[in-house]
Amino acid sequence: MNKTPRFEIRIAGFGGQGVVTIGRILGEAFTLYEGKNSVNTHSYGPESRGGACKSEVVVSDGEIHYPNVRKADLFIALSQVALDTYIADLKGGGILLIDPHSVKNVPSRSKYRVYEVPTMEIAHDIGGVKFQNSVALGALYPLIAHMIKESSLRKAISNNVPPETVEINMGAFKRGMQYGRGDGDS
Amino acid sequence: MLKYLKEEGPLGPRLPLIFCPGCGSGQVLNYTLHAVDRIIEEDNARKEDFLFISGIGCSGRITSHYMNFDSAWTIHGRALAIATGALLANPAFRVIVFTGDGDNGSIGGNHFIHACRRNIDVTILCLNNGLYGMTGGQHAPTTPPGMITTTTPYENREAAFDLCKLAEIAGATYVARWTTAHPRQVIKSIMKGIRKRGTAFIEILSQCPVHEKTSPVAILKKFKRTTIPIGKAEGYTEGKTVIGEFCDLDRKEWNESYQEIIDQFLAGNGKTDAQVVD
Amino acid sequence: MAGETGTAKVGGVSPAPHLLRPGKYYLQGSEACIEGSLIAGCRVYAGYPITPAVETMEYASRRFPQVGGRFIQMEDEIASACALIGSSWGGTKALTATSGPGFSLMQEAISIAIMSETPMVIVDIQRSGPGQGYITASQQDIMQARWGHHGDGPIIALAPGSVQEIFELTIEAFNLSEQWRTPVFVMTEETVAHMREPLVVPPWNEVEVRERKKPQDLGVPPRDYLPWGHDTVAPMANWGEGYNVNFVALVHLEDGNITRYSPEANYHCVERLQKKIEGNADTIARIEAKFLGDCKHLIVCYGAVSRTAMEAAIEARERGLEVGYLRLITLWPFPEEKLRRIVGTVDTIFVPEMNLGMMRHPITEALRDQCKKVVSIPSLGILHSPEYILSRIQEEIS
Repeated sequence: MNKTPRFEIRIAGFGGQGVVTIGRILGEAFTLYEGKNSVNTHSYGPESRGGACKSEVVVSDGEIHYPNVRKADLFIALSQVALDTYIADLKGGGILLIDPHSVKNVPSRSKYRVYEVPTMEIAHDIGGVKFQNSVALGALYPLIAHMIKESSLRKAISNNVPPETVEINMGAFKRGMQYGRGDGDS
Repeated sequence: MLKYLKEEGPLGPRLPLIFCPGCGSGQVLNYTLHAVDRIIEEDNARKEDFLFISGIGCSGRITSHYMNFDSAWTIHGRALAIATGALLANPAFRVIVFTGDGDNGSIGGNHFIHACRRNIDVTILCLNNGLYGMTGGQHAPTTPPGMITTTTPYENREAAFDLCKLAEIAGATYVARWTTAHPRQVIKSIMKGIRKRGTAFIEILSQCPVHEKTSPVAILKKFKRTTIPIGKAEGYTEGKTVIGEFCDLDRKEWNESYQEIIDQFLAGNGKTDAQVVD
Repeated sequence: MAGETGTAKVGGVSPAPHLLRPGKYYLQGSEACIEGSLIAGCRVYAGYPITPAVETMEYASRRFPQVGGRFIQMEDEIASACALIGSSWGGTKALTATSGPGFSLMQEAISIAIMSETPMVIVDIQRSGPGQGYITASQQDIMQARWGHHGDGPIIALAPGSVQEIFELTIEAFNLSEQWRTPVFVMTEETVAHMREPLVVPPWNEVEVRERKKPQDLGVPPRDYLPWGHDTVAPMANWGEGYNVNFVALVHLEDGNITRYSPEANYHCVERLQKKIEGNADTIARIEAKFLGDCKHLIVCYGAVSRTAMEAAIEARERGLEVGYLRLITLWPFPEEKLRRIVGTVDTIFVPEMNLGMMRHPITEALRDQCKKVVSIPSLGILHSPEYILSRIQEEIS
């Protein structure tokens, strides 16, 4: 695994979309199963602007001082409002993961590496919108495979979903991963 | 009973008591010590387990000034909250709280009803003189309508609490009302209260000769004249104050109930939160 | 032993079922705080719900019975603080967590805890104020921590900056409260309470847990016991031990007497409390300093803001600015002497705070002869960004 200086992840959307859960899963995966350091924060209210909800994970192999995202390396946007609010904080060449169903417009699209994954559609197909998180994480995995093992993500997901849904969530993760592997910049 | 009073307490030598001549507090102190003495004798209770807590007011002066027991003279209205903390630390304490109608019914009202609701193992002795004695005779939530006090110079226009009814509705499992003119009944009730595992509320109408500007004997006679035992009241109180035992129930005490929660974890049955990841 | 200040029994962690075992965890600050309290031997939690301290309380309601402790939701914050006093005198360490408005309600109880020298720990997860303010983070209660209670009398307040540190400082808070027989506050922000970071629980035998000194330890029988005597920090007999302890919170003499009042007795009683803590500020207070060697501009910070300040200091150095970093781990007692000794002469002192400037006052008082200017960098409702601190520093320097 590469040594991570500081890798900043932001997830944003509306409350209820699993924004906080995705952040927590990523944080746990990196920290408990990859032996890295990470800070996971989330916020609601005016700081998130527009009724949106955001979650952040700052990952590093060393000490993390400032705990929040300054310029994101990876941005997962689950709503158009979230994208509009935070796109300017994404690094040039940074990874943007969106669901084209809810995010239609990406300003200055060519600046970023954009990945479109129909997470809602796939989740519906599997059993419901509540599996959207696992689909998104599956689709995300190939993009960060150089810094995290698949098993770490899977373990973290298992810890954070109801025990009786672990199997379905693993299936959702796999579907997302399969989609992710067949996709690229659009 | 002298052995239960500190020879030299925070206020100096135990006698003379600081109470005003003829004050009911002295009687309540006496009755309480009699009750405690009999409990120690008859039940083989440990003297170390007794804990007397009071708030502020004339009633507040009954504890730490004199008691040769563990005691606390605390802040206005909060004795029951402090008592709750003590019982959480050590469920074996036999806690007796001295309070007044103002301390318990006004500023302490919230702690009073919640203590009763929780049914914590405490015996509340509420000395009710219908006003704020220590601070000069202001009206209290128990002052009868029409009375003139230092803060109701134009007659009290407010209704008065029935503290026993409040205690009962809130959930106390032993509720009684007596007066300082009923020594045997008070002692018996205090003993019952201490033995009751749960919240016991005993209201004791107590004379304040100074602010009532009446001789203590006259007030004691008035207590006898204007009260009617619950057995005789039968819906027709003749305008008198009902005294007696209002309820004596059996309901799980707070610590007793909470212990069941702890026990399931000590037995290794409950699911726990502590997830270790190496 | 007379003169041996603040001695307390030192031991390790007492094992209990389901106590957090040594290892690495990923927890929120609020959870780490509770785990720290349990490791320190706290077994009573009495609290009242208030945002953003709710998670701390809910976590406590689950964890306390798991280790054999007791949790109770009291009817309000006043009752919670009073319950802590009752529990402490009843012989069991107790904890509550609250935020600004609740902290305000606790001040009378805190005042009597100071006077009666009651060990207890209160965690203040600060939110914006005044009034109802908002639920976002702040550092607005730090003066309330010092002066919110009526009367003279000092307290101890610690300011953690990370999840690992809130765990460690909660343990330290209990140790300090037992050792010095005083209320201790853990002043944190919504930021730290809600963030998740790795927590490493060390082997239990490496954790120091201190217990209050008792008259039994000194061989003092009930007959000879002076509740507020024998030593700078009086040994504390608890209820139920046969010492017939009378708790009072009035001006008192060593033997607990409250009637032989005189202005001299009053002065002696209160000044003793002051000296107990403030007089030992150097021993009690901890600070962390970096890049002090040749620094011309010093950032003095505490709590969550120190995370940003460190980032800013590192970047400033990379830009060639002679910036130093000093963090107050202990807010109160304020380490005046220590600061004067450690800080040389600097041009400017920057104090970034999540309030309109509170700690800047004692900092100015302590270091006014060693600097040209003290600049406050306030931020309300949001944690400072490194850019914000750096831009203010650049502005001032040029």
